[in-house]
Amino acid sequence: MTSQRASVPAQLDHILHEMSEVRVTPKGERRVRVDLAADRLPTLLQLLKGHGGFLHLSSISCVDWPETDEFELVYHVWSYESKMLISAHTLIAKSPGRFVSVYDIHAPAGFYERDIHEMYGVHFEGSPNLNKFILTSWHGPPPMLKSFDTRAYVDETYAWRDYNPQWLKDIAAKGGGIEE
Amino acid sequence: MRPENYKPVRHPPSHEYELYFGPNHPGIEGNYAIRVRLKGDVVQEAITDAGYLHRGFEKIMEERLWVQNVALVPRICVPDPVPMEESYARAVETLGGIEVPERAQWIRVLMLEMSRICAHLFTFGGNAATIGLYTNMFWGVTMRDLFLDIFEEITGARIYHMYITPGGVRRDLPDGVLDRLAAVLDELERKKPEFDDLFFENAVVINRATGVGVLTQAQALAWGVTGPNLRACGLAHDVRRDDPYLVYPALKFDIPTATSGCSLARMHVRRAEVEQSVRILRQVMERLRTVGGPVRAHLPNPLAWNVPAGEAYARTESSKGELAFFAVSNGGPKPWRIQVRGPSQMHGVQVLERILEGARIEDVAQIMFSLDACPPEIDR
Amino acid sequence: MSENAGSRNPLQLRDQPETCRTADAEERSAWQRVIGRFADNCRARSLFVLHYCTGCGAIELPPTITSRFDMERVGVSPMVTPRQADILLITGYVALKTLKRVILSYEQMQAPKYVIGFGSCTINGGMYWNSYATIKQLDQYIPTDLFIAGCMPRPEAVQEVFLELMRMIDAGKANAWRDYYRNYDHYLANQQALFGPQWHTPTDIVAEAKHYGLMGPGTTGPHTRLLDQHAEWALDRIPEDYPERGENERSER
Repeated sequence: MTSQRASVPAQLDHILHEMSEVRVTPKGERRVRVDLAADRLPTLLQLLKGHGGFLHLSSISCVDWPETDEFELVYHVWSYESKMLISAHTLIAKSPGRFVSVYDIHAPAGFYERDIHEMYGVHFEGSPNLNKFILTSWHGPPPMLKSFDTRAYVDETYAWRDYNPQWLKDIAAKGGGIEE
Repeated sequence: MRPENYKPVRHPPSHEYELYFGPNHPGIEGNYAIRVRLKGDVVQEAITDAGYLHRGFEKIMEERLWVQNVALVPRICVPDPVPMEESYARAVETLGGIEVPERAQWIRVLMLEMSRICAHLFTFGGNAATIGLYTNMFWGVTMRDLFLDIFEEITGARIYHMYITPGGVRRDLPDGVLDRLAAVLDELERKKPEFDDLFFENAVVINRATGVGVLTQAQALAWGVTGPNLRACGLAHDVRRDDPYLVYPALKFDIPTATSGCSLARMHVRRAEVEQSVRILRQVMERLRTVGGPVRAHLPNPLAWNVPAGEAYARTESSKGELAFFAVSNGGPKPWRIQVRGPSQMHGVQVLERILEGARIEDVAQIMFSLDACPPEIDR
Repeated sequence: MSENAGSRNPLQLRDQPETCRTADAEERSAWQRVIGRFADNCRARSLFVLHYCTGCGAIELPPTITSRFDMERVGVSPMVTPRQADILLITGYVALKTLKRVILSYEQMQAPKYVIGFGSCTINGGMYWNSYATIKQLDQYIPTDLFIAGCMPRPEAVQEVFLELMRMIDAGKANAWRDYYRNYDHYLANQQALFGPQWHTPTDIVAEAKHYGLMGPGTTGPHTRLLDQHAEWALDRIPEDYPERGENERSER
């Protein structure tokens, strides 16, 4: 296992030496974390796809960090040849919350960018279709933002069913009951 | 009944028309819709419409404790819930550096493979029903029920087991369940020639499914298709072998492939996968008779878990393809972010839209079922 | 004679000279009761469930309907179109987008029609009690005859609820559908609270209520008056969010 861990950066060296300011952290067997600036990310994906065989964009994740007012975008790419998953992390500012689409490098990005646009409000320039998909009946803010409180929304929108049967009253009379 | 103020609506010429395929339609898998634009009976354009099963899982998981989410995750994909539990548990284990006891790992593989067989049997039934063969559906569902009984015996529930928790499984196997599972597997193998006779050697199936909904290997790779759909195009990629987890490296199994990438090829791959799952289950059952020990790592009070900060990407081979959970923790009692990468998000949306172009209207349902898209996974 | 042939109003027959004996009101209602009782009895023995998988509970329907539990032996079988279905089985949680379709399907079904809420999610939100995307109480939006608790209820529970529904229909007690006509304004108010004041469906419930003789004090009200405002608009064009359309297409129209 140690030899594999040591070999991870070696396999990537010929790709990553072309890029400056990239931090590579092996995260275990077959997992590598790469941190880089947002403007370098499409270049990295292009290089990984062209020279490293990282053909499969497994997923794009978005994480909301309200303290620093940033979104963290994570691109997970998998290589069918070297059997390794690279997670490229990058940070973008929450306002204006725009980023460039990687659809022309990886077609699956179309779905994930549409999803992130819907759930977080990030706009991906050049993405083929950013129309609403899942939330067509939704008129509120992007729901996955940390600033959106789903519990408060539910309390405001829906009524709770009255539920107070006799056995619960008996328990409450003895000092028990449902904790709120 | 016609409204009192009814007024006929003028329609455009009808040689080209739009059809809402679903969500209230028996040919659609789950609660999902495809808007198809047709010319004659040939699909010109297909636009998928999801969100009917949206529950906001990713949001409500952030609002609950790590251990409470164990009950939530299997509900993300209804026909194949165990890989969801496994992925989530493994993501938490990776974050927390938890070692799973060996016996628990074997039990998890047992659950995963049983779930795969169940999902494939269900797909068989559904796929046959879309071309009018209802007997197959009856048989597939009945056979699946035998496995559900084993699930019920092990976990207490037929569909949502909530059995795999971070650190192991909830409890050990009941006595004698392996013998009963062996009997069910024998029954499945005994029935296999009859299933073959009914489905794969059926002239209706061969005529309707051969060369329909073809996906080439280049297309599949470009569009991010995984799982049986990718293997049906000739690429032997399987997360169980290429990115192994649990005790899969210690098991002997083949990765079935096909070359033509059509509807029938995909079903052939699934059939072969059921055979391989039976083979895996037999090996697992043998090992479970000898491997002892605890089934759960020693962990503190689950209600007070603070998972160490970091992120983990846990991939699992579900019956539909590559399933992944991306979990981010900030060291708190609740997850900071959990993302679900369901395999159907690829082959149920973009790929479905593209391969439906040029298909005929009667094949739409069949193509969707042969891709085995799982709408709750897309909507989350 | 020619005058009588012109006026075909059956109510005027009573003023005719006694060519045949006519039943008085009391006797007629007794007959209606007998015929109604007979109809209920027959109706309970042939029920069709709308084939609409609204949520995860749909996974337990194939086992219920196929060989192992086999609901067809007691006369329950799936039906693909709402117009010919008797039972709307809401299998689990209902997302906002699905609720619109559920209401449309329900209104298309012909009376008498029955609704069964399947699973805890239809009762009080269940697992998804704090989810922004699912409704919490189904019976606020459409009248519900029976609920099954549990997540997920077993096929035996589904069977039991069908048998209970049969007993209720047989006894003439499954009348929740009448409530939709009598208190339409209440249900519409709840629907409009979720979907906005422009929400409306193609079915004219008030006219149906008049047709069935089920007009009640709650049939019309402030919320149905909103419908009248949109009636012209509704028939001329498809509203923007029904069925859901992409933003691109919206700008085209």
